[in-house]
Amino acid sequence: MSASSTPASWTVAVALILLGIGATFTSMTIALDQYGRWGARIFPLAGSLSLIALGLTELWNTKGKPTSSLSREHLPAIAALLLLSLAYVWVMAKFGYLISTGLAAPLALWIFGVRSKTGLAAAAVLCPAVYHMIFFKLLGVFPPLGRWFDLLDVLGGY
Amino acid sequence: MEIFAALGSVLSDPVLLGWVLLAAIVGMIVGAIPGLTASAAIAMLLPLTFYMEPLPALAFLYVIGKSGRYGGSIAAILFNTPGTAASAATQLDGYPLARQGKAGKAMKVATISSVIGDFTGEILLIVGVAWIATIALKLGPPELFAVYFAAFIVIGSVIGKSVTRGLASAALGVLVAMIGLDPISATERFTFNSFDLTNGISLVPLMIGIFVLGEVFTQIEERGKKTEMIPDSDDASRNRLTWAEYKTCLPHVIRSSFIGSFIGMLPGLGSAIAAFVAYGEGKRRAKNPDDWGKGALEGVAAPEAANNAVSGPSMAPLLTLGIPGSTIGAILIGVFLIHGIQIGPTLFLTSRDLVYALFACGLIGIVMYGLIGYYGAAFVGRFITRIPTRVLYPVIFLTSFVASYTSRGNLFDVYVMVAAGFMGWLMRKLDFNPAAFVISFVLAGGAEETFRQALLLSDNGVMIFITRPIALMFLLIGLAALIVRIRSLNRQARAVALEDA
Repeated sequence: MSASSTPASWTVAVALILLGIGATFTSMTIALDQYGRWGARIFPLAGSLSLIALGLTELWNTKGKPTSSLSREHLPAIAALLLLSLAYVWVMAKFGYLISTGLAAPLALWIFGVRSKTGLAAAAVLCPAVYHMIFFKLLGVFPPLGRWFDLLDVLGGY
Repeated sequence: MEIFAALGSVLSDPVLLGWVLLAAIVGMIVGAIPGLTASAAIAMLLPLTFYMEPLPALAFLYVIGKSGRYGGSIAAILFNTPGTAASAATQLDGYPLARQGKAGKAMKVATISSVIGDFTGEILLIVGVAWIATIALKLGPPELFAVYFAAFIVIGSVIGKSVTRGLASAALGVLVAMIGLDPISATERFTFNSFDLTNGISLVPLMIGIFVLGEVFTQIEERGKKTEMIPDSDDASRNRLTWAEYKTCLPHVIRSSFIGSFIGMLPGLGSAIAAFVAYGEGKRRAKNPDDWGKGALEGVAAPEAANNAVSGPSMAPLLTLGIPGSTIGAILIGVFLIHGIQIGPTLFLTSRDLVYALFACGLIGIVMYGLIGYYGAAFVGRFITRIPTRVLYPVIFLTSFVASYTSRGNLFDVYVMVAAGFMGWLMRKLDFNPAAFVISFVLAGGAEETFRQALLLSDNGVMIFITRPIALMFLLIGLAALIVRIRSLNRQARAVALEDA
């Protein structure tokens, strides 16, 4: 059902089928309503079974077609950014917004190719300050406070 | 008549006009930056609008969508890199014109055509939307479910390279929307005993992830590539646009405006399809088809008019049925909900003034981006070449975190945003359809509600969808769209195979 070969067809097909099977089993664990009707299960099941059907169709379509693999050239940088993203949220939860952003800003710039030490140092200070001013002071959003330590406690609080 | 009262009210409010002007500028710049789209800008700026009144918030994001569509043409003509998928059609003739030293002339044609197309779409929306809402009020749950069903199929199958992956994106959107408590029986679904998941997945972090963080992941692969602007000719006469030159474009602009408006009304099709259909139709009817693709002004005018004409009518299914016609529409649903405004046919009973004021802001926004674009597109182009992407994308990266936290003040939402961002990148990489995923996520709740209401009304179970003629018609439209799409893809595949042979 596609004009040209789509990337990683076999892997995608198997992933869709496995995801569909997992979602179908989970859908069957959804409790029935007080009259024993399937109301709450219908849409989750429809979505799950559609995934299985689409995965099988994708698998059928891969027969006899050349498979094109994905470029792995940028995978280390993608993995680094994903790791930074997860670590950023974790540090935000433990040490608050200022410290986490002060660490994440230069690292993000570094991943994108900025190597100037002055630039990275300036980002570590300016980014948390500017975002804090805009979102937590001007807009009045309550900042995510660190569970273990928060710089705002030292700086005189929110 | 309501629109004139609304125009008067908007024009007498300088603060609102300021927001519209800011939106016209922001949208144009974001649309012109290769890689960034109006959807990304709207998703990122959405949390800022939580703290605004409903009308300025909606007008700000609505006009960003409009000028963002136009901004794509700046990148297509001046940088030979389409800022949006829709402006790839503009690039076909816009770039050759720029290479001939006529970038200024091409930009003027693009601007005037965009303004005419956008005005046509907006006026058709204003005239037709209340009429559609009146009809929508008469539709019962079975008919509404059939409309949702057709929308799922069209959105999943029509856009993108692969029908199976498009439909799988839609199915994934439905499954993610099911996470949380069942709205009728409050039964837990896909929560895996997690308290955070019982509240469901919030729309705002999901959209910021898919459209903003996903784009940051994508841009890592573009690191080091510089955006270079084609130098404009020193000969001013080459870039002066005369009436005689534009007169030949006018029939194409009028036709394309109606093509764009029609396509805009159909959920999920969007600007890119409108622009390419208008380009193809324009070339077929042109007196100079051989010049198209080599620098014909008509080849810039036709796709630009269609691309922008989509904007207004794409709001019709959103405002009348609660079905977003585009990703921008899906994001605007979030704004309506946050401000406690129930969208759907009753919107014209409860918030009629707000809707017409929004349309008035749209009309004023078109004038604003038209004027800025006509006189300042080259300046915008030069400004964009000075933005270092290796600084811009880390800033967008950091903004996406704080923006997703701001929506509910909840770090779980930030984790959702990160997961959605990675998924958005993976979906683009594997030819899945992120737009279908998000629109289906938004539609799933309404579709489930109407489906279950229809079953409660029915004495014959699912037969109610077949025995009601309007419901049956929409079900058949959905299936027909799927069959037509599969046949067209198979034809393309055969043509490619023959070429290879």
